[in-house]
This record gives sequence, structure tokens and C-alpha cells, in this order.
Amino acid sequence: MRKLSARASQQTWTSVSNRKPPSVGSILRTSLLIFLTLIVLIPVAWFMLSSFKDLTDLSARPPKLLPTRWATENYTEAFKMYDYVRYFSNSVIVTVVATALTLLVNSMAAFGFAKYNFRGRDGLFVLTLAMIMIPLQVILIPIYLVVSSLGMVNTYWGMIIPAAATPTGVFVIRQYMLTIPDELIESARIDGAGEFKIYARIVMPLARPALAVVAIFSVLWRWNDFLWPLLIAQDERLYTLPVALALLNGQLVVPYPVVLAMSVMSIIPVLLIFIFMQRQLIQGIAHTGLK
Amino acid sequence: MVSPSNVTKRRRSTFTWRRRLVPYVFIAPNLFIFLTFIIWPALRGIYISFFDSMDGSQFTYVGTANYKAIFNDPTVATIARNTAIYVVFYMLISTLLSLTFAIIINQQKFARGFFRSIVFLPVMLSPIVVGLIWNDVLDRKVGPLNTLLEAIGGGSPGWLVEPKLGMISAIFVGVWVHLGFYTIILLAGLQGIDSSIFEAATMDGATRWQITRRITLPLLKPTTLIIVILSTIHGFQSFDFIYTLTGGGPLGATTLIVQYIYERAFQSPIQYGLGSAAGVILFLIIFAFTALNFLVGKRREAI
Repeated sequence: MRKLSARASQQTWTSVSNRKPPSVGSILRTSLLIFLTLIVLIPVAWFMLSSFKDLTDLSARPPKLLPTRWATENYTEAFKMYDYVRYFSNSVIVTVVATALTLLVNSMAAFGFAKYNFRGRDGLFVLTLAMIMIPLQVILIPIYLVVSSLGMVNTYWGMIIPAAATPTGVFVIRQYMLTIPDELIESARIDGAGEFKIYARIVMPLARPALAVVAIFSVLWRWNDFLWPLLIAQDERLYTLPVALALLNGQLVVPYPVVLAMSVMSIIPVLLIFIFMQRQLIQGIAHTGLK
Repeated sequence: MVSPSNVTKRRRSTFTWRRRLVPYVFIAPNLFIFLTFIIWPALRGIYISFFDSMDGSQFTYVGTANYKAIFNDPTVATIARNTAIYVVFYMLISTLLSLTFAIIINQQKFARGFFRSIVFLPVMLSPIVVGLIWNDVLDRKVGPLNTLLEAIGGGSPGWLVEPKLGMISAIFVGVWVHLGFYTIILLAGLQGIDSSIFEAATMDGATRWQITRRITLPLLKPTTLIIVILSTIHGFQSFDFIYTLTGGGPLGATTLIVQYIYERAFQSPIQYGLGSAAGVILFLIIFAFTALNFLVGKRREAI
């Protein structure tokens, strides 16, 4: 027994000494990555600490790393002075409904393109992809006029519907659906299943990985989206978080610490998604057609 | 009288007719949204660009006056210059850095997943919050960066109050937000390369640098082309984080074309025609650059 353990420890010892010393390249690489980590994390951490400082601390020179007094009133004021709950729930409503709608219309189109032969299919698919070339910024004024002529300014639907159909979403889901065997659909048809039932009950559950990627991206984008809600939500009752933050930040009467606190609170849901879903997210990008 | 055989025939024909309609029904909702909210506005935008309107309901035909006004306006010239500088540097720096980080993260064995997440983190933040974060960090007097610089005797540059530094800050923050997105796409491209190629090269005694230069970069060229195109388009679209970072200032030094379009429509005096014409020009520029990138990329591949 003793012999065995002695040998084992000896082995560990030799294996450690045999390990190659880290090369110059790997030291350089790791230090670059650590530098990147600092550049990403320090500003975010600094910002979060700032949200707990009062005005005296915020204007102190030299600035203090930690607040002298943890000004939690920044957070409570956000609820008292401003309708933070409303901004937050507006963001939730727009994000959730828009993502559901995007998943529905994109997956239906993807199913049509992936699993049927019909006249004009390729032309319509190219047309769908060509929409990438016309970003919102280019048609900002005419799309606003169209939405306003439809009476959708200052409505949730005005924020949700216009951007609900996405070319990338159709593309990603279609690529995934192409890998689902046609035999599965044929046999369901023979069993008497209707076309919509085939889409809803057979293809959709199988396309879940692609749907997850589209859903995560839609949530991120909608939660953070600024320019479109800024145009449509002109009434304060409809402000989403980014709109409220941007507009409150510009006002002198609004205490800056409260804006900081609201910003930090707006990051938290996204950070939670990031912490729990980052693997699916990053691998999803790698495995779907996004490359 | 209709004979029974006729009935079944008609029923069958309506049946196949309905079946042929099925795929169109599936793509209809998506297509309808595209038609109403992209294609129709795009066409209308071209139309409006030849008119003058202050309220969106009364339009006066002005011919090409809007375009002439844009090309003769010295403010627009400044905005065009700002946008050009921003796009060129943003695109170059984003492409170079995302290539660098994708390659080194891919080679990294220790804590690779951690670094991959770190580089992606800013992508998830709202551009509005990103603007606020860097406003805080780059503050001339009480920002941590200048405190650090003063401590080592670097003075206290006005990152957000001097025109040139404002542009540098805007480009830096733009890269900071989007770098992770490009890096992840390149990492996906790297995973698509057959690893046996690297093993063969290592066995033949190639150094890591040789492998990167002679094998990885050439094989990564198609993905790199996508990054160049995406970052060019993103560069031209930039506005949101700049809105809270500098607001287009100092002295208009970071006002880019999208802010110009936005202000024509939503700040008095409202000039829908002028803004639409600027939108048409922006589209033509984006289209031209995308086509150019594709052509150059294709030709390089042929050689």
C-alpha cells in the first residue's frame, strides 16, 4: 500500500516537472485576454457602484471607488418619483408579445419555404433575405408615416408589429427545418393530419433549437431596442425602459443617481439571461446559419 | 343535373387547389408585414424624397431640391465626414480586433468559455445604458480613467468635450459594444475548419504563427468578409449609444447620418422630404458598399 501511494506521488511529481513551461505566446495570449476582461468588466462594475453613490460622492474628486454611504434611496426613488414599474412592464409586454409574434410568423414562413414546392418560392425567399438591406434607419420617416396613417402611433401594436417579421429569423429556422426528414411529414399526412397540424405538432417541436436561438436574439434586441420605441411611444405611459432612460437622462430636473439606479435595474434581466443561457446562445450562433 | 362523377372531379380540383394554396398561407403573415412595413415604406420614402412636407399629410412637389439642398448644406458635409471617419475606423478596428480575439480565444485552453462569455457581455447591454456607462467612466473630472491618467501624469483629456476626442471615444465605445458579436461569428467560422489540417501542419513542424498566417486566416476569409460587411452596415446605422454618450456633440463632432435623419423628422423645423432623401442616400451608400465588399471578396478568392 505504502509503496503504491509513494509511486503515485512520485508520478505526480514527475508529471509536474515534465510539464512544459508556459510559452511566450501563451503568456501574451492570456494577458491580452485578461486585459480584455478588465476593459469589459471595470466600466460595468464602476457603473454599478456609481448607482449606489449620492450626488456628493458622484462629484467627489478624486472619485471614490466605494460609496461612503450606500445610497439605496436612488433605487427607492426610482419607484417613488418615476413610474419605474410601468416602464419595466411596458418593456416586458413589448418584448414578450413581439418575440411570440416573431416566432410565429417566422416559423410559419420558414416551414413554407423549407417543406413545400410552389411557384415563386425561390424568388420570394430571396426577397425575404433582401430585407436585410433595408434597415429601419433608412426608412425611418416613411415607416413612421405609414404606421401613423394606420393609427398605430402610441400603441403597443405600433411598437410590436412593424419589426416582427425578421429575415434572419426566417433564414435560421428554415435552414434548421431543412434537416427534418420529409418522410416524417409524409407519414403524418397519410395518417390524415392536416397541414397546420403537421406544422404545429410535428415540425415545431423538432425545430426547438433554432426557435430558441431566434427567441433569445429577439428578446435581447427588443429589450434593448431604442430608436423605434422612441418614435412610437410618445406618451409617457408607453415608454419602455431604454426610452425612459434616454429621455430622463436628458432632463436637468431628473437626479442623475436615480437614472443610474434605473439603468442598473434594467440590465439585471439581461444579465440573468446571459448567466443562464450563454452556452445555448453562443453555441446556437455557432450551429445555426448565422455564420 | 350534375353527374356524380362530375361532383367528385370538382371536389378533387378544389382539393388540389386548396392544397396548392397551403404554402402561400404559411408565408403570408411574414410577407404581409414585410410588404406593409418595409417594402411599401421604402417605395414611399423614394417618393417623399421629391416632396416637401412639414406634417406628413400635405406634400408639395419640389423635384430634386431636397437632394440639392443636402449636397449643398455645409452641416451635411460635416455629418458625411463624421460618418465616413466613424465607419472606416469602426470597421477596420472591429474586424482586426474580432479576428485577433477569435483566434486567441480559439487557441486558449485555460478558461476559454469564460473569456468567450466576457467578450460577448457588452453585446447584451442596451446601447442607451452603454452610453451612460461610458459617460460615467470617461467623465473629465470625476471619471476613473482620468483619475488614473492624472495619477501617472497623463493630464485629464476631455474625452467627451473635445471634438476630436469625442469621435475617438465614440469609435472606441462602438467597438466595445459590438466586438463580441463579430468575435462569436468568427469563432463559429473557426469551428467549421477541419482540425486535422492544423494537426497535419503541426506535425510538419509549422509554428503557431505560421499556422495562423498561412492556414487559419485564408480559411477564415469568407467569414471575415461577412464581418467586414456587417461592421460597415452597423457603422452606417450607429446612433443609439451615441445619443446618451455625446448626444452628437461636442459641437456636432459625433453627429452621424442617422441622427440627421431622425432630427429632420422629429425636431422642428420638421422636414420629412429632406429626411427621406437622406434615407435614400444612406440606402444607396449601404447597398454600394455591400456590393463592393462582395465583389472585392469574390475576386480575391478567384486569385
